[in-house]
Amino acid sequence: MPNRAETRSAKPAQRFPPWLRKRVHTGEAAARVSSLLAELGLETVCTRAHCPNLPECFARGTATFLILGNSCTRSCRFCAIPTSPPGPLRDEEPEAVAEACDKLGLRHVVITSVTRDDLTDGGAAHFAKTIHAVRLRMPKTVIEVLTPDFLGRAASLDIVLDAGPDIFNHNVETVPRLYTQVRPEADYRRSLDVLAHAKRRAERDAASLHTKSGLMVGLGETADEVGAVLRDLRGAGCDIVTIGQYLAPSAAHVPVARFVEPPEFEAWEAEARALGFAAVAAGPFVRSSYHADSLFESRRE
Amino acid sequence: MPVIDVPLPELGEEAPGEARVAFWYVDVGEELKRGDDLVQMLTDKATFDVPSPAAGKVVELVADEDQAVKVGEVLCRLQVEG
Repeated sequence: MPNRAETRSAKPAQRFPPWLRKRVHTGEAAARVSSLLAELGLETVCTRAHCPNLPECFARGTATFLILGNSCTRSCRFCAIPTSPPGPLRDEEPEAVAEACDKLGLRHVVITSVTRDDLTDGGAAHFAKTIHAVRLRMPKTVIEVLTPDFLGRAASLDIVLDAGPDIFNHNVETVPRLYTQVRPEADYRRSLDVLAHAKRRAERDAASLHTKSGLMVGLGETADEVGAVLRDLRGAGCDIVTIGQYLAPSAAHVPVARFVEPPEFEAWEAEARALGFAAVAAGPFVRSSYHADSLFESRRE
Repeated sequence: MPVIDVPLPELGEEAPGEARVAFWYVDVGEELKRGDDLVQMLTDKATFDVPSPAAGKVVELVADEDQAVKVGEVLCRLQVEG
């Protein structure tokens, strides 16, 4: 069918380059995921972050669960989740996540959360309960957690790590120079330390934990700065890395500085592989949990 | 021959999610196959091409270009094979 865009007058400006175009996936699978989540009272970061991959992932029967509430104690300027005092934890949430995994038949689940600096353990025990609930019900499912930095507290991190996730993901999100504009309450070095701590413990215990991190590009970083972050992550023992285009959730968020072209993502992917990451995903629509299952399966041991 | 509504599918925007019509790929009277592109929608995060859910003929474009449409609201109507 011809594209008539150019034949009509008064078209709204196309704000996105052609490589930021998605196809909507319609159908029953996506509706089933939405209704199951509503029925179990579960949140997903897919919905909360306005993820452009949502139609595709829901149609594949997968979603990334967002636990510990739907508002956050931090005010990162890239993120659509509102900053406000979060409510109390839902005791039934761990079991609800496990039930959703079961009903969706997930072989790989990603569990993430808002940041809960208001809780002494940062919500670590709730993370651990969720991991245990999924493990009990779905012993063969790969469990990936994408956690906050827990203010760098080793005791909180250890609660999560003791629950035995298969993949521990903590995103550095951007290059250190942009932290004050993008993640004002976070600390680049602390995030690296979180990843290094997880790796050291796994090595000490001969556990088969894989560590993972990700960053957004298009926020104003330079190629050299991205390279430096990749080297820092390898220095922290990080096994898996994701690199994707930042897209602003609204005009009130940090604006997109630039749309990174696909060949640049390919170059970063090659650079990351050369640095020794076991698995790398880089591309305009890559997100921390995007195709997390196949990315994990693609790893080099 | 029955006429069906084609609603805006979920695009990942927060409920009540909405998107803006960028432009229509089709005109009234046009015959479509299932999966042909109907309309391009814009959100804060990307552009989305919405495919036709069925084969049929376009009888009405309900949403105008540049109009905001909520998830579940009707984009257009198609006359389909009974």
